[in-house]
Amino acid sequence: MPGLHRVRFKVNGREYELEVPGHERLLDTLRYRLGFVGVKEGCGRGECGSCIVLVNGEPRNSCLTLTARLNNAEVTTIEGIAPPGKLHAIQVAFIETGGVQCGFCTPGFIMMAKALLDRNPDPSDEEIREWFTSNICRCGSYNHYVEAVKKAVEYLRKGIVFFDEREVREKLHLKPLG
Amino acid sequence: MNIVLGVLLIFELYIPNSLDDALEFLAKYYPDAMPIAGGTELLILIRDKKIRPKYLVDLSPLRRQFSYIKLENGLVKIGALTTLWELSNSFLHNDVRYAGFQDVWHKFGTMSLRFMATIGGNIATATDFSDYLVLLLAYDAKVKVSGVNGERVVPLGEFIVERRKPDLKPGEIITEVFFTEPPLNTSSAFEKFDRRSILIAGLANSAVYLHIDNGRISDAKISLDMIKEKRIPGRLRVLEESLKGREFSIEFIEKTIEETIPKHVEKYTDWWTTGDYRLEMTKTSIKKALLRAAKRIGVV
Ligand SMILES: Cc1cc2nc3c(=O)[nH]c(=O)nc-3n(C[C@H](O)[C@H](O)[C@H](O)COP(=O)(O)OP(=O)(O)OC[C@H]3O[C@@H](n4cnc5c(N)ncnc54)[C@H](O)[C@@H]3O)c2cc1C
Ligand code: FES
Ligand code: FES
Repeated sequence: MPGLHRVRFKVNGREYELEVPGHERLLDTLRYRLGFVGVKEGCGRGECGSCIVLVNGEPRNSCLTLTARLNNAEVTTIEGIAPPGKLHAIQVAFIETGGVQCGFCTPGFIMMAKALLDRNPDPSDEEIREWFTSNICRCGSYNHYVEAVKKAVEYLRKGIVFFDEREVREKLHLKPLG
Repeated sequence: MNIVLGVLLIFELYIPNSLDDALEFLAKYYPDAMPIAGGTELLILIRDKKIRPKYLVDLSPLRRQFSYIKLENGLVKIGALTTLWELSNSFLHNDVRYAGFQDVWHKFGTMSLRFMATIGGNIATATDFSDYLVLLLAYDAKVKVSGVNGERVVPLGEFIVERRKPDLKPGEIITEVFFTEPPLNTSSAFEKFDRRSILIAGLANSAVYLHIDNGRISDAKISLDMIKEKRIPGRLRVLEESLKGREFSIEFIEKTIEETIPKHVEKYTDWWTTGDYRLEMTKTSIKKALLRAAKRIGVV
């Protein structure tokens, strides 16, 4: 019978075993149980995309995903797209393109871009915009984000997947790592 | 630890280990138990406190059994748990006879939702905003339903009884939707019109299936988000009959739509827009869908 569900799944490569009630959303598990605060809650109803993560490589609105259904799944959040100390080419392209304003929507856009580029390494503008139908940016960075994906395509084409985070911060005059 | 952020009501989740197990649970706890497929409609209804099921029955363990798109004995069969993403990777997206499927896909919600939402969930949602339901009506599709007492097949047009009320008895779920493989020289189109092009319900939605032989319309099936009174999708048979056997021309289409629609379709007025505007856009929507389908067949 129902009750608490035992869920074994991987988040960003690390195995977790949790007991969760059936109604718990993946969004809450990730943010409040496991501390992956890169996952944001905007609308909580599938419209804004700030909560998007990858589940078995597929983009999912974590506000509409129940954790108890994810036994044996592999979840990737923005924290897990590059190894510690590194940034993924998509992240670097987003920073360099300068679209990020308040940044609340950015993890969702980046996860969507990752899902797209994993399937199509050279998407057209139209395809990028179709994938970004999942995401709303209140600050209006859409055009910059499309440019960012094209820039990421160039990096990935050259085989550059990860950047050293310290170097990127220094080069782009961002706050140094603590 | 029990995290409830107040937005979702409490429900229990039942994860069945077989179809029978799922059906028995649903029958036993009817109407307190409901199946959950993609969850993209159900969880919103719960969040908005429009429904308060005690139990949700997870259909994902049945995905291996009911997620497929196949052509078998002259029938196109789609398993109820097939996601829209899976549909988009099937032959339905690269054969002109099914072109309407691509139209719906491009107009459906958002890209990430298309990885979650299922075709069975779209049908069971049973509203004027169920876009695949409108298209499948134009293919004269039938629904296969499994229950504790066995299987039955229902024409889609009869399956949607009222808004949000599909013809499902206690302990029944949809397992498949199927339709006859269309012959050559056929195509379909779906039109959704609203103020935004995406992430919107649509104030005039229509689907068209067309068969044109030697310039003549040998078959036409036209469905709308609603016909009259009930806000459920339905077929517009009067218009279909006036088109059949006639030569396809833009002038003829325009004239016939103008004569038929105001007499046989009635739309509602609400805070979003007026019934008159909905009706006017319905005419445009059907015309555009017919022209697009004809163009796909190579006629205009
Ligand atoms: C932001 C947003 C945008 C949307 N845009 C669109 C759109 O453009 N077009 C559109 O058509 N819809 C849209 N929807 C609605 C929804 O995504 C679709 O209806 C979707 O197809 C539902 O499928 P699901 O698998 O998620 O269903 P669920 O949410 O899992 O279920 C929906 C209903 O069907 C029942 N059910 C599910 N599967 C079965 C089954 N096999 N047998 C019996 N009952 C079943 C459930 O009990 C529930 O009552 C949108 C939703 C959101 C949140
Ligand atoms: S919080 Fe999930 S889509 Fe907005
Ligand atoms: S940068 Fe502020 S919402 Fe997108």
